[in-house]
Amino acid sequence: MKRKDYQIYISGTIKLGVGFGIISLLARWVTGNTILSSPETLIKYGLTGGIGYSLMGAFALILFGFLAKKIHKKYPGHHTIGDVLRQKLTPTGYWYMISVLLLTSIDSLLLQAMGAHILLHMIFPLPIFTGMLIFLLICFFIGGVGGMQRLHQLAGANVALIFGAVIIIPVYFYIQEGVYPVYEGIKLYHPYLLYINNTDAFLFIVTVILIGFGQVMIDRATWQRVFIIQKEKAQMAFTLAGLVWATIPLALSSLLMIIIFGRSYDTIYSLFFELVDKIQSTMLIILFVLFCFSAISSAISSELHATTTLIVKNIIEVFRTLTNKEKWNCTYIVSGMICIFLLTIVSFLEPNLLGLLFFFGNIYASLIVPLLYIILSKKVLPSIIPLASFIGAAGGYVSLPMLENLMAIWVSFAISSFICLVYFIYQSFFIELIPLKDHTGNFLGTKQNAP
Amino acid sequence: MITLDAFSIYIMICVLAPVLGAFTLLFLFIFEKRIDLLEKQTREIALERELQTALYNQLNKEIQPHFFFNTLNSILSLARLDRKTELIRSIETLSKLLKFKYQTNNTFITIEEELTYINYYLEIQKTRFRERLQYEISTDPKVNKAVIIPFLIQTLVENAFKHSFEKKIGDALLKIEVIKIEQAIHVTVWNNLPDHLDEKLGKGGLGLGNIIKRLDLLFPNDETSVQLTNSEDGTTVIAIFPFVIKSLMEKGASSI
Repeated sequence: MKRKDYQIYISGTIKLGVGFGIISLLARWVTGNTILSSPETLIKYGLTGGIGYSLMGAFALILFGFLAKKIHKKYPGHHTIGDVLRQKLTPTGYWYMISVLLLTSIDSLLLQAMGAHILLHMIFPLPIFTGMLIFLLICFFIGGVGGMQRLHQLAGANVALIFGAVIIIPVYFYIQEGVYPVYEGIKLYHPYLLYINNTDAFLFIVTVILIGFGQVMIDRATWQRVFIIQKEKAQMAFTLAGLVWATIPLALSSLLMIIIFGRSYDTIYSLFFELVDKIQSTMLIILFVLFCFSAISSAISSELHATTTLIVKNIIEVFRTLTNKEKWNCTYIVSGMICIFLLTIVSFLEPNLLGLLFFFGNIYASLIVPLLYIILSKKVLPSIIPLASFIGAAGGYVSLPMLENLMAIWVSFAISSFICLVYFIYQSFFIELIPLKDHTGNFLGTKQNAP
Repeated sequence: MITLDAFSIYIMICVLAPVLGAFTLLFLFIFEKRIDLLEKQTREIALERELQTALYNQLNKEIQPHFFFNTLNSILSLARLDRKTELIRSIETLSKLLKFKYQTNNTFITIEEELTYINYYLEIQKTRFRERLQYEISTDPKVNKAVIIPFLIQTLVENAFKHSFEKKIGDALLKIEVIKIEQAIHVTVWNNLPDHLDEKLGKGGLGLGNIIKRLDLLFPNDETSVQLTNSEDGTTVIAIFPFVIKSLMEKGASSI
């Protein structure tokens, strides 16, 4: 069999318009996290938390839309976040950022895999190992082997299933139950959900928006999509994807109320899947299960594809040039290994999703300003800029015993921003830029000359 | 704590929001290609207009040397005949004429402006032909501010001199009439000495084909015509084009 060009694996064959761009972004961003964390935020922070979670996604994608336009303009011909980092950073900075990218990739993949784990555990009588093996095998064939083309082929079906479920199931339940009994039930069992003057919730909303933006900014799969959406449509696609995405957690939170209105609960994470017991109609059960699998599998496949691309294109290829065949072989091996790793970890660890999100929240928050600096600056940046995120994240973790989780995230953000600001002032006033020209007088770039 | 009403509204928003999201997606899927196509068409139209303007300017330029050589020849004749006072007067008028001409870079001017220009030209010719030349210009006051392509009447008048008055002896009578009939402007240039040019318009000198092309470019969606008729009592050329006030035309152009 003749293998296709590796470029097709990375970017597919077509440039996406707004409609398909949104579909592709939704397939990536409606994840296990959305299904599992939005109920968690609702339980912890009430209705305001539920709205906050929706706002997080909307703002994160809309803000990244502004950057997408700039990225398209400034980095034509690139395909991944690694390509841009390689152009803008020194080797130390580059390798540091690649490590962070790998770490966050693993975090993100683990979150999805844990979601799948919970879902499989709830629904199927299969041993969890077998279930996960089959699930990850499917993801391996879609994202790891199939590439961007296969992801796009399935994205439409994924999003159709997602919308089918989030539209039909809440309507079905609220018609059946009515709003009044749900309100009364929640008032009785979970009255805290109905308080909206919750100052904690506002801090939570602002913080999750920060984390969400950091998460989207560092997301390899989203960067790849920036480069495959048509240049003039990138911002529009991201903005609309943000708005459309925000509707899904809202619908999910309304569903969650159906589940909890008549009773208490044991664990938050399994709560959502208990909906299966509540649904009477077989067709709706199938729709719900397909929705959950579709959301999680499309997110894992996209992540798997992006992480594999990053490892092959921006790590292995940096050391040695690979032929087309070698790239494909590397892809199979790398994505296979990631799947095996996920399978192993998920089989042994107990999940705590929001905890993981907040644990990495410090990293995401501290990455925002350095990444913005990297994207927007015109020249190659020294290692201090990417390392600012490390110092910021470390500062956040150090402050954890003194401050609460949410404030520690702001500390991380503030430290890394401060370092970037200091460097910006330093280089604006104290570093003279010498224009570099070739022998014919063409401008090649600038070099720094410290006094 | 929120009330039942507020809770109901919250649930309603939660349930309806994905419907809106799905509609947005459906709308994009159905109409994105059409919107793209419309944008592409608008771009193409703009480009086509640019091209037309370029072509139009080129045609405008084309007519200028034609006129210029004829006028220079008139002045040269005056110099040869040693008619110094008339020579000075004609050079002065030519200077005014050229000034007007080089200020006219627009794709259209008013009939009033065009007629001012004709007057300069006829003044030059009058010095050359003296009493032999009699001319009469009659215009409908309503049409003064209407648009016309630059040098339309000029070309017709020049042709009268070139193909009739300069070739034949006898009185040279010229009548220019600009009137509005319904929503069209009729420009008629008549001279009393019929020439024997082929009545096919493209061959009626350089000017007529050029006028037809330029009228088509300026009024692509309206009917325009240029007719040349030779009869015993003279040659008549009638140009018909839509009546459009200049200010309206400019608004239309800027809205595109």
